[in-house]
Amino acid sequence: MTTRAKPVPRMSADTQAFWEGCRNREFRIQSCKDCGCLRMPWSFLCPECLSRNAGWIRASGRGTVYSYVVYHVAYDPAFAHDLPYIVALVTLEEGPRFLTNIVDCSPASVVCDMPVEIVWDDVTETLILPRFRPAEHT
Amino acid sequence: MHAVGVLEAGLCKYVLISYGHSARSGGEMEWMLSNLVGDDVVFGHFGAVAGYALAARRAMHEFHTGPETWKAIALGQRKWAALNPRALMRDKPMDERDYDLSPLVVEPFRQADACLVTDGGRACILTTAERARDLPHRPVTIMGMGMANPSSDLAPARHLAGPTGAVRACEDALRMADISLEDVDACQIYDCFTYTVEITLQDYGFFKPGEGRDWFQGGTIEPGGRMPVNTSGGQLSEAYQMGMTPLTEGVMQLMGRCGDRQLGPATGNKPPEIILCSDNGGILQSHACYILKKG
Repeated sequence: MTTRAKPVPRMSADTQAFWEGCRNREFRIQSCKDCGCLRMPWSFLCPECLSRNAGWIRASGRGTVYSYVVYHVAYDPAFAHDLPYIVALVTLEEGPRFLTNIVDCSPASVVCDMPVEIVWDDVTETLILPRFRPAEHT
Repeated sequence: MHAVGVLEAGLCKYVLISYGHSARSGGEMEWMLSNLVGDDVVFGHFGAVAGYALAARRAMHEFHTGPETWKAIALGQRKWAALNPRALMRDKPMDERDYDLSPLVVEPFRQADACLVTDGGRACILTTAERARDLPHRPVTIMGMGMANPSSDLAPARHLAGPTGAVRACEDALRMADISLEDVDACQIYDCFTYTVEITLQDYGFFKPGEGRDWFQGGTIEPGGRMPVNTSGGQLSEAYQMGMTPLTEGVMQLMGRCGDRQLGPATGNKPPEIILCSDNGGILQSHACYILKKG
C-alpha cells in the first residue's frame, strides 16, 4: 500500500474550474466565447484570438490514444506499487489533448489511435481524477 | 544566438558561455526534471524521460522506427566514448546484447536510450571575427544559425512525431551559411535520448521519415563512418552538459584538440572543415541549429 501521499493538483485561478468539474464527474474544456476555440491546458487568453472572454464546455469523455508510455520506474515512491503503469496523451473527441492514465488495460494491449472513454477514479473524498479505459464497443 | 546579438550590438567584446552542475552528486537534475510538468504529476507523469518517450512512441506509430534504430545510435556513440578520456562511459563498451538487456525505464525507452546525469562544467568564449584574428589560437567561425520554437507545452504540441522545429532551424542555418548538407563533415547533435538524434537528423533532411533505421546501419555515425555524430560520446556516453556538450565538441574538433577521437586519419574520417550542431529544449518544443567552420 501507499506509504506516502501522491501529489494533488495545485488549485489556481486558471485550473480551479477544471478540478471542480472533476469533483462533479464533469470533464470541462475551456472555450473561447468569442471565436469558439477549445483549449487545454487552461489559460486566461485565447491562443487563437487573444480574447479574455472564456467559458467551459462539458466534454463527451471520449477520445483516442495519441501516444502512450509505460512507466517501469517510480520517480515518486508514492507510485511504486502502481508499476508498470500507463501514461497517455488522449486526443479528446472535441479536439484538445489531455495527459492522463490508461487503466483497465494491460500495457501490451495499448496502441496509438485506439478509442478510449473516461473513467472517474475516486482517489480521495475531495479528489476525483479523470482517467481513460478502452472504449466498450470496439 | 544571444551572445552573437550582444557582440553585434557592441555591448561587449567577449562572451563566456559556461555551464556547471553537480547533477550526479547533488541530485538536482531529478528535482528539475520532475518539476517541469505541473499538475501532470497527479497521473504519475514526471517530465523529460516520459515526455520524449511519448514523442518516440508516436513516431513508432507514424513511421518506421523503434529500438532497432536507437540501438545503432547508442552503440555508435559508445564507440566514440571509448576514445575520450573524459567520457563517463569510456571503459564501458556496449554491444547489442547489452542494449537489449538494458532495463526499461519509461517504455519504449531503456536506460541505454537516456543521457547520463553528470557532474561537470563546460565553457566556450565567443567574440567577433575581427577580434579573433588577433588571438593566439586559430578560431572556429559560426557560419549559420537558426532557431524555431513550435510549441510551449506537451499536450498542445500538434506534431509530436515531427516535423519539429529542427526543420526550420536547419533550413535557416544552411541558408545563412550558404552550404548544403553534403558539405557537412560531422554532426554534434543534442542527444538527451537516442530518439532525439534520429528525429533531429531526419528533420535536418539526412534521411526521410523512417529511413533512419537503414541510414544508421553499418556504422554510419561511428569512428570511420561516413557521417560521424557525437564524437565525444555525446550526452548518452560522455557527459550531459546541456547544449554545451555538442557546442564544445564541435568547436574542439575544428580546433584539432580532440586527442584520440580527433576526426582524421586516426579515426578513419575526413579532417573536418564544417560541423553541424544542434540544441534542443522542452520536449522537442524549441530547437537551435548552428554550423561551425574551421578557421
